[in-house]
Amino acid sequence: MINAVLVFNNAGQPRLTKFYTQLETSVQQRLISEIFTLVSNRANSACNFLPLPPLLANSSKSSTPTTPHNDTPSLVTYRHYATLYFIIISTSTESPLALLDLIQVFVQALDGLFENVCELDLIFNFEVLHATLGEIIVGGVVVETQLDKVVQGVKAQGKVAKRPVNESKSGLSLGGFGRGDASVWSGR
Amino acid sequence: MFEKSLYELIRGLRSHKGSEKEYIADSIKECRKEIRTNDMDLKSTALMKLTYLEMFGHDMSWASFNVLEVMSSPKYRHKRTAYLAAVQSFRRDTDVLVLAENQLKKDISSPTPTVISLPLGAIPHVINPSMANSLLTDLLPRLTHSHASIRKKTVVTLYRLALVYPETLRPAWPKIKERLQDDNEDPSVTAAIVNVVCELGWRRPQDFLPLAPRLFDLLVEGGNNWMAIKLIKLFATLTPLEPRLIKKLLPPLTKIIRETGAMSLLYECINGIIQGGILDAVEGTTEGEEVARLCVGKLRGMMVIEGDANLKYVALLAFDKIVRSHPKLVSQQQDVILDCIDDPDISIRMRALDLVVGMVNSDNLTAIVGRLMRQLRNAPIASTTDDPANDRGRLSGPVPYGDSDDEDAEETLRQHQRSNVPPPLPEDYRLNVIQRILDMCSRETYANITDFDWYIDVLTQLVRVSPSTKSSSSGDDEDLESTDDVGRSIGRELQNVAVRVKSVRPEAVDAAQALVLIDRRDQMFPASGNGGLNVLEYAGWLVGEYANYLTQPEPVMTSLLHPASVQLPPMTLAVYLQAIPKVFASMSGDDQISWTPERKTLMTLLMARIIHFLDPLSTHPSLEVQERAVEYLELLRLAAEAASGAAPGDAHGDFTDPPLLLTQAIPALFTGAELNPVAPGAQRKVPIPDDLDLDTPINPNLHSLLAQAEYEGFETEEDDVYAAYSEPVTSYTSVTSPAPTISASERLDAPHKEPSSYQNAVEEEYLDPDILARRKAERKERYKDDPFYIDPEGGQGSSGAVTPLGSIVRAGNEEVDIDAIPIMALELEHSRGTPTGEYMGRSRSPRRAPKRVEIMGDETLGPGEPNATDGREDIIAPSSRQVGGKGKKSLLEVDSSGLGSLSLDDESSGRKLTKLDIERREQEEAEMKKALMEVERLRLEMQRASQRLEAKGEVTVKKKKKKVRKVEIEGEAPESTAHVGEAEAEAEAGADADKRVKKKKKKKPKTDDAGEGNAAEGAAEAEEGVVKKKKKKRRQVVMDEGEPAVEA
Repeated sequence: MINAVLVFNNAGQPRLTKFYTQLETSVQQRLISEIFTLVSNRANSACNFLPLPPLLANSSKSSTPTTPHNDTPSLVTYRHYATLYFIIISTSTESPLALLDLIQVFVQALDGLFENVCELDLIFNFEVLHATLGEIIVGGVVVETQLDKVVQGVKAQGKVAKRPVNESKSGLSLGGFGRGDASVWSGR
Repeated sequence: MFEKSLYELIRGLRSHKGSEKEYIADSIKECRKEIRTNDMDLKSTALMKLTYLEMFGHDMSWASFNVLEVMSSPKYRHKRTAYLAAVQSFRRDTDVLVLAENQLKKDISSPTPTVISLPLGAIPHVINPSMANSLLTDLLPRLTHSHASIRKKTVVTLYRLALVYPETLRPAWPKIKERLQDDNEDPSVTAAIVNVVCELGWRRPQDFLPLAPRLFDLLVEGGNNWMAIKLIKLFATLTPLEPRLIKKLLPPLTKIIRETGAMSLLYECINGIIQGGILDAVEGTTEGEEVARLCVGKLRGMMVIEGDANLKYVALLAFDKIVRSHPKLVSQQQDVILDCIDDPDISIRMRALDLVVGMVNSDNLTAIVGRLMRQLRNAPIASTTDDPANDRGRLSGPVPYGDSDDEDAEETLRQHQRSNVPPPLPEDYRLNVIQRILDMCSRETYANITDFDWYIDVLTQLVRVSPSTKSSSSGDDEDLESTDDVGRSIGRELQNVAVRVKSVRPEAVDAAQALVLIDRRDQMFPASGNGGLNVLEYAGWLVGEYANYLTQPEPVMTSLLHPASVQLPPMTLAVYLQAIPKVFASMSGDDQISWTPERKTLMTLLMARIIHFLDPLSTHPSLEVQERAVEYLELLRLAAEAASGAAPGDAHGDFTDPPLLLTQAIPALFTGAELNPVAPGAQRKVPIPDDLDLDTPINPNLHSLLAQAEYEGFETEEDDVYAAYSEPVTSYTSVTSPAPTISASERLDAPHKEPSSYQNAVEEEYLDPDILARRKAERKERYKDDPFYIDPEGGQGSSGAVTPLGSIVRAGNEEVDIDAIPIMALELEHSRGTPTGEYMGRSRSPRRAPKRVEIMGDETLGPGEPNATDGREDIIAPSSRQVGGKGKKSLLEVDSSGLGSLSLDDESSGRKLTKLDIERREQEEAEMKKALMEVERLRLEMQRASQRLEAKGEVTVKKKKKKVRKVEIEGEAPESTAHVGEAEAEAEAGADADKRVKKKKKKKPKTDDAGEGNAAEGAAEAEEGVVKKKKKKRRQVVMDEGEPAVEA
């Protein structure tokens, strides 16, 4: 299952934190900063899987490294879009490539809701951000992967506020990111 | 009052560059005010702002009650804010949760779908078992809600309920299954159910076998890749239980592999084939070969595809899973895998490293290790924490710099300017590589190593590239971190090679010598890392133990005695202390060299230097160091005296014998039997000789002998000769360590630790009354000051000489000393070449490496311990032992172990049975009601009867009332059958029932324990566990009742 979904920007400032277990605020912040440290050091061409941050690594080593316990969060998957990092922490029972796709769905859904989404949209509409995530993942289990249904679900909750007028506008530009998203996703 | 919206808060944050802290503090203060008003809009806005700030780490737990207030607002907008706030801010200890229950129930039953969604999304975050129990009844009807989105969320919410309250599945599972079987169900709901089934599946695969046909259909129909991936993962856990599935699964899986365009699905198909054991199952058939070729071919394709690091990563993961079972298939891909070792991406390198460790053999070992060594050597040593710019954790606290990113936030296509130069190797990766190298090389008692000179060079090099360990841990003498230190691991290997492989022993000792030499320290341990420094512990042992192999004993001695050595960690220093006399013995012990004046001066000088070095160490805080220092100090003082006493022969020609103490006595301490590796547990296998009689006392007169010895001890104490001999020692150690001053007689005193009455009885037999009286007085005197008195004669030897202060110190010391004894024993074993865990797993017969290098295997008797084979783990996963077992739960972990104990009643006709179950339960409930009514009727009857009775009767009434209440409480418990019986029987049983209730109360917890114990035995046995539990209850009722249960 999925243990946490995080979004933060290039400076490490959180834009969305969702932990599917109850965690002390200070621990949450530490985890975010640890993951940010890991993720910000990675080259662009590097793969999208992170080694476990120290907070998680310590406890997971208790079982043998090759077969981590199925309940233990052991997979940190991330994707980088323009100014934002999207991170999913999950157990080994999730498929790593599928999680990458899931992040893509999440971002595409946001793009559908905001029309050419950018970080500012998410800052000012963090409730919508949560609502969108809530349509995709409930309690750490994925409930929906179809883009249109996610968008529809969020829209059913009320009008999605547009960006404040005076803010300049430019999007996360999904098309230009990642490598070969289309080819990975042609099956969807 | 001016109030801000969330938008204004964020705007404000962005415009208060540099003073966010104050701004936030002000804002929170405002929120505190706003949230206390009666205006729901204002409250809700304040809550939203707080939730936003919570994301940056600002506590809002104080507002938990206000969250509930806003939650109860009729407006959806408010509710949404409040639910989000609850999810984000409620913690395990949030106490208002109980109050939230009713609101949750209300909202679950709301007619508006969007409102229902709110609690559905929030419940997984805040649920606890008691809440789950009460919400269950409200959630179940939502499974048939007209909106698909509600149904799918309910399924998942019920799953989370089941995690904390497994009983959830009893009523919920049949309904969920019904949804799954329904062909007309919305595909989204089906997918959500599959997700949940997959989560449940690896816990209790056997329960899901009956669903296999339906799941198989879903897989073949396809459509949703996410669901297909989940299904494949689920099938991979089912195939081991139902081998027939393999035949069925293979065609669709190969079809997907060939046809799908989604890489994730393709990969999971291959992964499923590997993990589900399908590869093994079809092995040998043409079909199987084809599948294997297909899978491996695709995986290879993923590795070589240009520019997608992710595919490389997952392909390595997949290879890692088959490397043990199909080494051949993997080794065919050696070329691409080895390339990954040098991949710029650390994640990929790590995976490749894991894989390579499994692939290694004697042919490729040198190449692989060489590759890794090159990496270690060429990359600069640096750790992630060295870069303060990236270390957000060092900031005083998380602060939302709402504005620092204005430019970034609006930028769309930011081109990353980060270079593609590989980053410096992080520390943990470095450690990992070193450990892996050691592991690969030492595997199976060096089976893969053909050239030990090479290995020794590798080890020496490894010391130089070791990263610095956390400097804090190196100083103190807790040897907790001992196992996972790279320096130690390398040292252990060096020691191991020297002991096991005689032919390279000189080279190994040479290497150790080079490490120890102080003037080469800079070269051997580059300033960039001091992590290898712990290797000295083993190098020190080697130069001592094999001192006769040393090519430059003098410089080694100088290095050992160097003032810098005192700064070493205590463990290393202790080893050094042991090595010093050994090296000294090898230098001085040669009786072929004439005892000329030069020789005498040389030796005297050397001894003086050693004494000079040891002297201050006799007060070292580490007991280990202290003890050795004191022992060897005394020994060398004696030797120095002997040397100065022995007159040298004339300088020219004639041979004069050197003092015997130098040539014979001291070397004899260290030579003798050669050290060989001994298998763990070998000692236990030494057969007990038949003629060994441990029961008859060796000397039946022991007690009187001992007593006599003790008596003699008194006299010799006054003896001038004895005093002269022992005094310098006493004066110098009495404050620090009494151990070396114990006289022979005292040592014999040990049996006197026995109960005093016994002792006295013996004493009385041979001692005069006046002596006895004196002894008694003395003993009393001693006991007076020392509550921790342990050795009855410990204080005697120096009782006259010790000052009051000294005796206090000694009192303290004695306590410590006793603790130190087992440590010392361990250390002995350590320095004898059997570091803990090191030789475990070496119990196989001696192996011969290629090139016929003789490697000593462990010496053992009989067959090796089967369970010792994994003893090498300490090198593979060094810290695995330290982190306390599996008991420790990982952060973020959601524990689903509760599910393992729950059976899903999954027979082929499961639904009918469960219907029956429900009927039965209803019947039971009705019976229960009847019984309760009966009880109540009886109670009233008795009450009425008792009212007619005298004062004596009133007592019984009170008792009776108590009893009835108890029965009622029991009756309300969910598992009814047993209690119905109890209640009824109770009602029938009449006045003497009181006692029995108590008895039952006592017995009940026991049963529960037993039941839980069974349940905990794991998934496989859990079903029986439940059954047993029930059975036990029934049986117990019968037992308790004694008479057959009435009306049952």
